Amino acid sequence: MLFFRSEERVREWCAAHGYPMRPLVTMNQLWTLATTWYSTRLQENSRRPQADEMRSIFADLGLEGDFWDPQSDTFG
Amino acid sequence: MSLDTQTKLAIYRCFAETGQRPSLEAVAETVGSDVSSVREAYVSLRAERVLVLEPDGESIRMAPPFSGVPTQHVVIVDERKYFANCAWDSFGIPAALHRPGRVHSRCEQSGEPLSLEIGLEGPPPCSWLFHCLVPAAKWWDDIVFT
Repeated sequence: MLFFRSEERVREWCAAHGYPMRPLVTMNQLWTLATTWYSTRLQENSRRPQADEMRSIFADLGLEGDFWDPQSDTFG
Repeated sequence: MSLDTQTKLAIYRCFAETGQRPSLEAVAETVGSDVSSVREAYVSLRAERVLVLEPDGESIRMAPPFSGVPTQHVVIVDERKYFANCAWDSFGIPAALHRPGRVHSRCEQSGEPLSLEIGLEGPPPCSWLFHCLVPAAKWWDDIVFT
């Protein structure tokens, strides 16, 4: 889970390492993910989002498809 | 409050207050229990995916978003330095602390430094991108690699 300056830098990095290019996430989307995951983390009753919640959170951000499905078996 | 919850809070509060991981003994002292019981709580917390241990079974590698070891993702909040596990977690530290902060990292391809002020409402408009190689269903197969 890394930062890149641009889509072109991601493309170069993936090509250099033989990795598939994955969906890109903007900084605003990342902030939403970070606050959803962690804003209650220091509290007594906090817990990580469950699979169905994760799917909903990702979908609300437009992050859909097998890549973002925490229960997908597409990737072996 | 269960020992698991006490243990989790002791770990996370230590990270929040110091930027450093606590030792097993320090956690046990904080929660008023023995190290054996706390070690068992660590196993439960790992299963809940809120704690990742080093191979020794007691040193804390991750209490996401906090990292127990230095990384390329450094976050400064109230002049305190924190290490984050990844790009996502670097935003997660100001989010968890409910404080503004500054994220220092880099473009993984070019090495260009990133220095981004994070306010209570998030980052300013910014064209940098986040890329995750590992599909969500596989994140915890090897969370350190993820």
